[in-house]
Amino acid sequence: MKCTTRKPRPPKRLSADVNVGHGFAKRMVYGLLGVLVACGVWQLVSTRIGVSLVLPGPGEVAHAFVMLMWKLAFWEAVWGTFRRVLIAFVISLALGFCTGMIAGLNAPFRDMIAPFVTIIRATPVMALILILMFWFPAGHVPVVSAMLMAYPVVHTSLYQGTIGTDKNLLEMAHIFKVPKPVVFFRLRLPAVRGHLASAAKNCLGLCWKVIVAGEVLSQPRFGLGTGLQSARLSLDTAGVFAWAITSIALCGISEFLLGLLARKLQEEEAINA
Amino acid sequence: MHDFTLHNISKSFGNLEVLHSVSASFPEASVTAVLGPSGAGKTTLLNIVSGLLTPDTGTIGDFASATFSYAFQEPRLLPWLDVEENLRFALSSLHDKPKAETRAQMFLKEAGLEEFRYSFPAQLSGGMRQKASLVRAFAFPSDVLLLDEALSAVDIKVRIELLDLFARLWQEEKRTTIFVSHDLHDALYIADQVILLSARPATVMDSITIEIPRELRSYDADQLKDVERRLYREILASS
Repeated sequence: MKCTTRKPRPPKRLSADVNVGHGFAKRMVYGLLGVLVACGVWQLVSTRIGVSLVLPGPGEVAHAFVMLMWKLAFWEAVWGTFRRVLIAFVISLALGFCTGMIAGLNAPFRDMIAPFVTIIRATPVMALILILMFWFPAGHVPVVSAMLMAYPVVHTSLYQGTIGTDKNLLEMAHIFKVPKPVVFFRLRLPAVRGHLASAAKNCLGLCWKVIVAGEVLSQPRFGLGTGLQSARLSLDTAGVFAWAITSIALCGISEFLLGLLARKLQEEEAINA
Repeated sequence: MHDFTLHNISKSFGNLEVLHSVSASFPEASVTAVLGPSGAGKTTLLNIVSGLLTPDTGTIGDFASATFSYAFQEPRLLPWLDVEENLRFALSSLHDKPKAETRAQMFLKEAGLEEFRYSFPAQLSGGMRQKASLVRAFAFPSDVLLLDEALSAVDIKVRIELLDLFARLWQEEKRTTIFVSHDLHDALYIADQVILLSARPATVMDSITIEIPRELRSYDADQLKDVERRLYREILASS
């Protein structure tokens, strides 16, 4: 049969169901305004204290930041941390996705893995990093610790998504004897995409925090955490702030980029619901 | 010939007895309407027939080896697939893919859904969604067609349209059909046999064969009035 009608995309937005808030430009303006207010307060407090070793002002930190950007070591540190975040993010997302979905589909596996997930979730991040420092080289410690910290978040989210899949739809697929692979790819996977999106977002933020913390303690050759620790040891408070701002900015940018994708998935899910 | 019968089916959920020794026969290639008050166990009966539930006691004859298609009370369409993809999803167990494709197209056309085949469920009205669900049930080549109050959530105009569509599609492939409803008039319009269930725990109160030829029936046909009156009397007497 010849197809003459062009296939449309799914509905993009139902304003009644999806809280879309302001437009992008407005949000940026308000966000910038918030940053300016915070900088003003920061400058006031810094001036009041009057000791830049305790609290340098925003101008001083900006200067330290610009100085850092001219150094090759800075970019090597950025790349080193970014690479670690990427590795930890991908592995924990893939592992959490697989075990979360399997746990949602298979009760014995869920019960078997539950104690491990609980233990990992309850372990303090600093304790974990210190333990891992005995076992892994400095460059690997942040990656392994971030993986272990982020994995339970993804696992739990995907598990919740899998067990929350609409039973009526599964019943319908059972009645029509839909083959299991088709049920998995056409029903189960789309049903958890909202959970996957929010898990990915949380996982990425967590990876940045844990990787930088891990680098501070394990001191790999290149890393934002290593830079932070070096600046602290040389009593360069403005430098510490500059390294911290770099890590915050990178985390923010990567979360924003991932958020674009995640929001699209979540909006579609809200519309479908 | 299939032996689509239920023998002494009983089902309880905890202490709540829903079905009590229900026996019924469903003639092949005919439409049987199962009528009963809300909460009587009509859906439970359909779920036992389709194998979604197992009875506590009793046997289900050839239903055990039959294939089913089901039009549920709510449409149960996958929200992320368009109408055509929803049909394909339900037909994906068929090995003959070209035949499955032809069936999907044929039933979409028959139901007047061709222009909505690329529409997503969220873009359709409630009536259209229910229509798509009905078409999906017909498109799946099953031994038994089950309709669980599939027309109850729509207004009267859409309901008559859907009943007419059902009658038309059913004529194409006369399949053993069990139509659960609490609407007497709907049941009489399309059924060849009506089974009347009592209030919970449900037992079969009566089974009536509708002799009026299908071609003479319409939603407001006078011929149905006598049967309707008789059934009303029975329902009122039982309550």
